[in-house]
Amino acid sequence: MADRRLRAGVVLLVLLAGYALLVPWLAGVDDRVTDFAAARQGPSWAHLFGTDSAGRDLFVRTAAGLRVSLFIAVVCALLSVLIGALVGALSAAAGGWVDRLTMRVVDGVNAVPHLLLGIVLVALFRGSLVAIIASIALTHWTQVARIVRAEVLSLRDREHVDAALLGGATRWRVVRRHLLPAALPQALVAAVLLLPHAVWHESTLSFLGLGLPPHAASLGTLLQEARSSLLLGGWWTLVFPALGLVLATLAVAAIGAALRDRAALPERAGAQL
Amino acid sequence: MTAPALTVSDLSVRFPTGQRASRGAGSAVHAATDVSFALRPGRVLALVGESGCGKSVLAAALLRLLPADAVVTGRALLSTDGPAVDLLTAPGRVLRRTVRGRRVALVPQSAATALTPVRTVRAQLEETVGELTPGVDRRQRADELAIRVGLAPADLDRHPHELSGGMAQRVVTALALAGDPEVVLADEPTAGLDRPLVDRTLRLLREVADAGCAVLLITHDLGALQRSPGLVDDLAVMYASRLVETGPAGAVLAAPAHDYTRALLGALPAGGLVPIPGSPPALTDLPPGCAWHARRPDSGPCDGGGTVHVDGLRATRCRPPGGAPC
Amino acid sequence: MTLTELPAPRVDDAAPAAPRPPRVRWRAAGRLARRRLLFVVPVLVVVSGGVFAVADASPFDPLAGYLGDRYLTASEQAQARIADELGTGRPWWQQYGDWLGGLLTGDLGVSRSFGQPVAQVLAERLPWTLLLTGVSLGLAVLTALLLGTWSAARRGGWVDRVVTSTCLLLQAVPPFVIALGAVALFALGLAWLPVAGLTDAGAELTVGQVARHLVLPAAVLAASQLPWLLLNVRQSLLAALADDAVLAARARGLAESTVVLRHALPTALLPFVTLLGARLPELVVGAVLVEEVFSWPGLAQAVVTSAVELDFPLLAVLTLLTTAAVLLGSLLADVAYVLLDPRVAADG
Repeated sequence: MADRRLRAGVVLLVLLAGYALLVPWLAGVDDRVTDFAAARQGPSWAHLFGTDSAGRDLFVRTAAGLRVSLFIAVVCALLSVLIGALVGALSAAAGGWVDRLTMRVVDGVNAVPHLLLGIVLVALFRGSLVAIIASIALTHWTQVARIVRAEVLSLRDREHVDAALLGGATRWRVVRRHLLPAALPQALVAAVLLLPHAVWHESTLSFLGLGLPPHAASLGTLLQEARSSLLLGGWWTLVFPALGLVLATLAVAAIGAALRDRAALPERAGAQL
Repeated sequence: MTAPALTVSDLSVRFPTGQRASRGAGSAVHAATDVSFALRPGRVLALVGESGCGKSVLAAALLRLLPADAVVTGRALLSTDGPAVDLLTAPGRVLRRTVRGRRVALVPQSAATALTPVRTVRAQLEETVGELTPGVDRRQRADELAIRVGLAPADLDRHPHELSGGMAQRVVTALALAGDPEVVLADEPTAGLDRPLVDRTLRLLREVADAGCAVLLITHDLGALQRSPGLVDDLAVMYASRLVETGPAGAVLAAPAHDYTRALLGALPAGGLVPIPGSPPALTDLPPGCAWHARRPDSGPCDGGGTVHVDGLRATRCRPPGGAPC
Repeated sequence: MTLTELPAPRVDDAAPAAPRPPRVRWRAAGRLARRRLLFVVPVLVVVSGGVFAVADASPFDPLAGYLGDRYLTASEQAQARIADELGTGRPWWQQYGDWLGGLLTGDLGVSRSFGQPVAQVLAERLPWTLLLTGVSLGLAVLTALLLGTWSAARRGGWVDRVVTSTCLLLQAVPPFVIALGAVALFALGLAWLPVAGLTDAGAELTVGQVARHLVLPAAVLAASQLPWLLLNVRQSLLAALADDAVLAARARGLAESTVVLRHALPTALLPFVTLLGARLPELVVGAVLVEEVFSWPGLAQAVVTSAVELDFPLLAVLTLLTTAAVLLGSLLADVAYVLLDPRVAADG
């Protein structure tokens, strides 16, 4: 069951990634070039996914948008895992009041709606890619921190850790050499589980007009464009980018769920946006 | 002797196991094999055996509460007042509407977890009374049932976690009696209770039988039966999914015919606390032929365990009761 | 291997303490609420302070936010005078302190994007947000309970298969895509319902008008929350249906509906209450997107407006308010859990 899910997810993701990477390159046209004579055309052989209100080909532009969104999502997920793993491991290794305080902070960050924090950050640093990535990474590390902390706590009492401590290793060295590597597989699974949320987050911010500028293709900006095109009957401007977003989410979520079952993480892990 | 209320013949229960099960290759848990007995009104039949011999599956099988993949064969004819029903083949609807709770009741294993934790005991008892015997005053009937099993009516207002083990045991007995059943199946009702409570629970079941019910007492506690003679009428001894000896309780306890029964009695304090060598076989992996003699090859003659030897009220496998080796 | 005399776990039959009156549960709930409130206050202080700190670090001049287009034309003296009046030249913690002081005395400042005092924006918009989120949450919870129970009770049936796969698919669709799809299909394609707004253009504010305009946003917001709620109900009910207590209830001859609704469901609903609390941030996020797409004049839309227009006084208050709502919501869920589960209160 889990294997079939994993295989389906991987196949779908490879297809999507191939589309996102190859199509803009093969098409050989800049997806940002406008051609108002060809504006808002329905799907045809010339434009498989139709064109948007500025006459840009949506088959190419959806691919470009998918590429940007997936790239941002991967960077965000890796950053979140980096922050989360460090915080979780250090918190568990330190123990005592440091650990308790850290967990309170984690609770606090979880209590604030992530999108709201993202909106505030992005609004104040408008249009900056760094702000978008930071706003996602800074709100999504808490799950990873919890998972890594739990893993480190369960490992801390094992013998080779005691032996290393007795042998004079510093605490930080023990964390780095023994505990973090052991918690790494779980942290990576957490990263995959975070991916769909990061994709959503980026597209949501761009959709609200707070993320990437409108001419830069991302799934969010494409869907923002679709919002006005829809009123003029351009259903294809919604359907194809939305399909890309949903399929990418489904593929990554399937892979994540399959990996989570293998790593025996709790069901709730990654359940929060 | 009165006519049986429930006649069980050749009851077998199998659970397919593992992946081979789906391909039809025969790996299975043999939970019960060719089990036959009769329950009569006013009498208590005690079914004893070591843990894991398959005895607890019987009660669930008779009420058809086993998981869907269980394969149950044989007959279990319910012939009390009302239409005769074969419990093993009757439609689920008939079981739900006319049999469970109303004609055949279950006193479940581990009373504490058999109650829904978030509702008071009274809510659950009155609900059962209302569904099984519509038209009676629920509150009054619930109080009567409480008193009958030795609870104060005020105790019913507690939540299950506020009950002691003995109280929970009495509550589930009251729940079983709510529908005036003719047959009561008690599945390890004394597990986890200390000695005074065990004796008290057994006396309660005796009273239930004296009021006209046919009672099946499934237990591993042979010592309690030996301690209080007269509480049970009949005895059936189960080993490795089969009944190896049945008969009147007094006679079997006084002069066990099967070597396994003798070993069980010998393991009791009164019998000298002689442990039984070896351990019971796993039900997935029963030896061919007689499972007991596979464990104790030096335990006297055996005909392979395939046939049942009947002598009056007593019956055994392996060799005739009291008779010469075959 | 002896048969009988392995010492059984002893159960003391002395009756435990008398049944606990409901009062005890309320007291336990009160203790929990107090403990949690002690956590809420520091989080609120840190979050709102954080907003000020981030704003201070941002490249945007708060004067630009205040003056809008006039920023480009205002003379340097005028800018300096206004900066002095607003106190924007001072360190952020002093500004934060002033803002907190104002908050405590009821002065929330003025929202530039709406040209109104912040308090007035809140008063006008909060009711619409409460209406939308309340109706959606009610709809989502009701549907989740009905379909979740049905799916679990008839596990593997066609209803279960359809419901479960729809939920898994819906989980992968962001709320704003659901909203756009619903607009395209029901408002533009089938023209059953209005596209956006609270009333038709120029129409009076009547119950009928609002109700017609509420259907689509409320349904979309409910649909965006439904999968998590429904799958949770189904999962906990499936677990509860395997409980000893449920098997025993079935053995007693109770009707299947009684077994499911009065024995399995009450146990299964306990985790559901907690989930509701935990899902509140997602409800807020969904409300922001749905209000934005449907131009619903609520607070969530004001979040986007104030962010796009850098309306700082409003943005800070809305951040604080949302965080407080989410914290109090999850507190409420936990308190409800204590009140509903008699076992928790007994532990003290």
